[in-house]
Amino acid sequence: MSSALARGPSAQATESKPKAAISAVPTFDNALAKGVSFGRVAVLLGLLAARFEHLVAQPVLTLQSALPVVAVIQVAYVVLCLPAAGSQQAKAAKKTRPGEKKKPETAGTSSVVTAILALILAAISTPVVHALFILFGAPFIDHVPHTFLCAAHFSLLGVFPVIYARGLDSQALVAVAGLTAPLDETLGGLLGAVLGAWLGAVPIPLDWDRDWQRWPVTVVCGLYAGSCLGSWLSGVVFYGKRLGGAASTTKEE
Amino acid sequence: MPQRSPKPADGLDYRAIAKQFAKAKAAREAREARDAEAIEKGLPTEKEQTEILERQRERLNARRKRAYERRWWWTAAFWAWLLAVHGVGIWLFASGFLLTRLVLEDKSSCAAPPVEASSSLSSGATLDVAGGCWHPRQFDRAVVILIDALRYDFTVPEDPATAHAFHNALPFLYDTAVEAPQNAFLRPFIADPPTTTLQRLKGLTTGTLPTFIDAGSNFAGTAIDEDNLLMQLRDAGKKIAHLGDDTWWSLFPDHFEANISKAYDSFNVWDLHTVDNGVIDNIFPLLETSRDGQWDLLIGHCLGVDHAGHRYGPDHAAMTAKLQQMNEFITKVAASIDDDTLLIVMGDHGMDGKGDHGGESDDEVEAALWMYSKRPLFGRTSPEFAVPPANAKIRPVNQIDLVPTLALLLGIPIPFNNLGKPIEEAFAGRKGNDWANLAAVSRLAAAGIERYRQSYFKARGISQTEEPGSPAALWTLANAAGLSDKDAYHALTAFEMETLQVYKRLWARFDVPRMVAGVFVTAVGLVMLVMYASRPADDEFVVANDAELDYAERRLELMNLKHEDEEVHPDQHFHQKLVGGLADARVLFVVGVLIAVGLYRKQPLDGLAALVVTLLITGVISALSTSGKTLLNALPRTFWGWLSVLLTLSHSIGFASNSYTIWEDSILLFFIATFGLAALVSSLRIESKVDRTMAIYHAVTFIVIGRLASYSKLCREEQMPYCTSTYYASVTSSTSAPWQLVIPFAVFIVLPDVIRAFLMPSKSYEGLAPTWIGYFFRGGLFLSALYWTIDAASNGGWLADKVSEGTLKSAGVYLAQVVLALSLIAGSTSFAWAPPNISILSTSAKSGQLVTILGYGNAMGARYLFLPLNLLAACILVTKPMGSGALALMMWQVLCLAEIVDLNQLRGEAIGPVMLAVLGNFYFFKTGHQAVLSSIQWDSAFIPLFSIRYPWSPLVVALNTFAGQILAAACVPLLVLWKVGPKQRGLLETTARALAVFVAYFAVEALATMSWAGWLRRHLMLYRVFCPRFMLAALVLVVMDLVGVLVALVGLRSNTLAVCEVFGWAE
Repeated sequence: MSSALARGPSAQATESKPKAAISAVPTFDNALAKGVSFGRVAVLLGLLAARFEHLVAQPVLTLQSALPVVAVIQVAYVVLCLPAAGSQQAKAAKKTRPGEKKKPETAGTSSVVTAILALILAAISTPVVHALFILFGAPFIDHVPHTFLCAAHFSLLGVFPVIYARGLDSQALVAVAGLTAPLDETLGGLLGAVLGAWLGAVPIPLDWDRDWQRWPVTVVCGLYAGSCLGSWLSGVVFYGKRLGGAASTTKEE
Repeated sequence: MPQRSPKPADGLDYRAIAKQFAKAKAAREAREARDAEAIEKGLPTEKEQTEILERQRERLNARRKRAYERRWWWTAAFWAWLLAVHGVGIWLFASGFLLTRLVLEDKSSCAAPPVEASSSLSSGATLDVAGGCWHPRQFDRAVVILIDALRYDFTVPEDPATAHAFHNALPFLYDTAVEAPQNAFLRPFIADPPTTTLQRLKGLTTGTLPTFIDAGSNFAGTAIDEDNLLMQLRDAGKKIAHLGDDTWWSLFPDHFEANISKAYDSFNVWDLHTVDNGVIDNIFPLLETSRDGQWDLLIGHCLGVDHAGHRYGPDHAAMTAKLQQMNEFITKVAASIDDDTLLIVMGDHGMDGKGDHGGESDDEVEAALWMYSKRPLFGRTSPEFAVPPANAKIRPVNQIDLVPTLALLLGIPIPFNNLGKPIEEAFAGRKGNDWANLAAVSRLAAAGIERYRQSYFKARGISQTEEPGSPAALWTLANAAGLSDKDAYHALTAFEMETLQVYKRLWARFDVPRMVAGVFVTAVGLVMLVMYASRPADDEFVVANDAELDYAERRLELMNLKHEDEEVHPDQHFHQKLVGGLADARVLFVVGVLIAVGLYRKQPLDGLAALVVTLLITGVISALSTSGKTLLNALPRTFWGWLSVLLTLSHSIGFASNSYTIWEDSILLFFIATFGLAALVSSLRIESKVDRTMAIYHAVTFIVIGRLASYSKLCREEQMPYCTSTYYASVTSSTSAPWQLVIPFAVFIVLPDVIRAFLMPSKSYEGLAPTWIGYFFRGGLFLSALYWTIDAASNGGWLADKVSEGTLKSAGVYLAQVVLALSLIAGSTSFAWAPPNISILSTSAKSGQLVTILGYGNAMGARYLFLPLNLLAACILVTKPMGSGALALMMWQVLCLAEIVDLNQLRGEAIGPVMLAVLGNFYFFKTGHQAVLSSIQWDSAFIPLFSIRYPWSPLVVALNTFAGQILAAACVPLLVLWKVGPKQRGLLETTARALAVFVAYFAVEALATMSWAGWLRRHLMLYRVFCPRFMLAALVLVVMDLVGVLVALVGLRSNTLAVCEVFGWAE
């Protein structure tokens, strides 16, 4: 800032945050990964569109039956497109990024194991997301399956890829949660899911008496659309940019 | 606006000061050495030097104090000016928006019926009162029993399995109508909103529709000078007696027979029996045959049902008892009247689920009408009409229809302004087929309406349309020759109904230029406020609480004092320039000329006011922009700035939709959670682990408290069925459930400890704090809890056989007065005189005496906290048990917010005050309110008082209604002062700016609701949703301005004076 004045010592420390430590999660630089990454967005949105009627009519049943399908899609996506946490590929991908083409990576069994572990961790995060929904005003006592399934979808779309890519590296996770990590598909997906779900709540109170205004249809739609859009945008357009770049310093003032 | 001058703020300056200080220190040491020399020589210079220094210090302090006080007064003056701007804007809009009706002075006269006497006047009409003016007289006398708030469903039978306390308790009306249909009939009686007693009495006697502007006069009560039933009776030489509600006396002064009439106070909602017993005791002697000739119309106005509704809600044993009493009463009256007396029992309006009224929900407008005659007279035009309607949706009559009915039955002229039509049952003949009579009375009423219509249109200069379906066309149709009586009757009824619709639309006539002027003035005022709240780019809130630096600087100043005689605060003349600019000769000249010309040419006041205020605002705006405060600077530059704008705008834009207005409470919770989440994310960026943990903790607590508080809710009718009220014992009650008494006691136990926990980390639980918070504040909370226990005992009749209700009531009132005296009077006094919350610890160390000041870092904020706490104690007393929990949570949440603001260094951001405004609005809903008239808790006026006393009663109701917003406004300085030491500069300017942001939130709200209400003035939901929300926003804005000056700024001043008294003035 032009007028950086003497503030507490912590503010100055904030500006000199260890930016180098957390880097963006790259997608594999091959045709398959690019195809899968794009295809996932198409499939997820297509699925949402195709099942929309059912979602409105029977939200619980539809969300429940969609959960394994979306899980498979997501697992396939992370395994084929993203480097698993702590894997050699992650480092290799990082190193070779500026350089010439490398041999096409293949998904090893280790990444499948990581994916399954990440899936379990994402499942564990579901109650937290559920609580967050309730804090934002979702029904607490009734509609429990609705909210919980919505939270499960949120975890699957937003949280799962992050955990897969970052593992349990607390510093990295704090950077992701604090939005100081650079933008990549995983963070973009999470951020998009949050914003999408937030916007999804907007039409609920309107007195249009439409079936789709029922909890949690709009939020599910919002989080799918937001997550897909967010991960695509930050994977392609804003990759590596930091929300925290300019924003982190301004934000702390 | 702090620190525009090159104050030693950044590191460079700091070093410069340190260097100067070192230099000065060296000089001083040299001097000391000289002094030592002097002492050796026997000269006492050292002591003298210290004394000189001390005197200098005092002089400097005194000068700075004076400068501060001057600055403060100019700041307060600016805020008073802002209040005037808001007042003018609201007045302009409201005077164009709240509807007005032209009152015609014409009177009907007995000798001049509206129809040609020869053509269609009913046979038997004698054009004099004895035989009946326009129609043969049916009754000599009438007894009108008005049971206030008699809702229609109180009078019809209900299946005992699903019945509530208010069902099946008053069966007499229904039973007689079924058993003797020729003697009695019962029909739903639809009131025109607003459903307040005064408005209803106007409608019931004049036959016109009330307009909204009248609603405000409910507490003033002005005499009716329009033609009305009572005036006609009096002019015809009839005698009117009145018993009960004294509202009649203010409406009809000099109408009632003095020696037999008896009026009772109508606003003592607490008292269920005095009025009713007065009516019952006094009415029967008057009904005796020996009293013939003493009255011709006898009005008995009972208030017990209404008061039971207000106090307990309809579903309460007290309501059952009251209705049973009324049942017995009416049975006796019906037995006591003679054959030539008409008996009417009616409600003036209904009540909503909680027993309140004023709005236009179905339950509020659906009253009951029952007419009874010993002589068989009434008929039904169709066999299925024999049984009274099962609910108020079937065959309702309008309340104004009573006016022509009663006038014709008593043989007096129909009042000139009447828009009602005769009630069918009364004129259909015993067999229900007297179409000739029906057509005749209908023609009379219709001709009266047509006469009124022509006069009104002429007076207003409105041209009439003749198109099919218009009243004019229907009138022609109804007067066509060759119609059978039955067809004529139906045609006339169609005309009457259509005319009523036309007037309903017509009196929804708005003064659009005034409304536009109001919106414009408010908008320009908002621009000024936003500019005022903006921050020049080179201006930062400086968080420099460095004791050493302060000390060094201070020494420097003392040393320079001799040379630099007049130091000027950078903002010394800022407010003076803003306000003083208004008194500029040129401005005064232009304004004076405008006013003179306006008065000379007798121009309407509104345009002039708008012009003058706009001119003055423009002057202030230009003064602001020369001070570097421009709209460009007000643009958000950070995430938090954008979030503030997003929340403010989306909340206000939402008022354009009735859904978002209806669900405002849920939306505010959503906003609170959104901010909490953002604060949580931001907390993760804090480097220091301790700070980060605390920031996360406070952010999470902030969100969780908001959600917890959201469980206290009072649903408005439109939220059904998706909402469950928890504020009262049940949906049909306005008392608290016994379990809710746990809440004030929990608040008493927990809240002082929570506050202590916020003061402990900064070591500020010192000074007066342990005594005040630990004993006085806690004691006040305990007494409040005790008050509500007594209230519950009185409502539930727990001690019915041990202590009389009067004793309980007095105990409660005195207890409440003690709490208010403790929190407001003793509280304010101790706030004014309390020392800072610090404690001085001196320990001897090796190097000498070591002095530690505990609570130094939060010296400003911790002491200021007393003020909101005192206010909180008062608010908790006047709020029902559920609300006391909500308000306690609010205080907790505000303290979390203060911590979040401090830890994330958001002090210079707009988000703090904006969130405070959101919290204020949120807790308005959480203390059992909604943006509807009927949610005003009138009974709170009786918490510290036995009867209505001005100005205290309105103040208590205001404190109850706006507790959330008032507390929020009082906490604005807290956000600025929290964790701020005594040497902080620019606190007045920063607080004024925070207050400006806070008030801007409400100003945006007022502007938005104003604009939407004006734009959607033909909307179906105007009076249900948009108009009440506008009135709420306008009122809140004015209240916030007042509290901002009288509490926040005055409190800040008192706090600063007290702290700087101890630590010396920093600027």
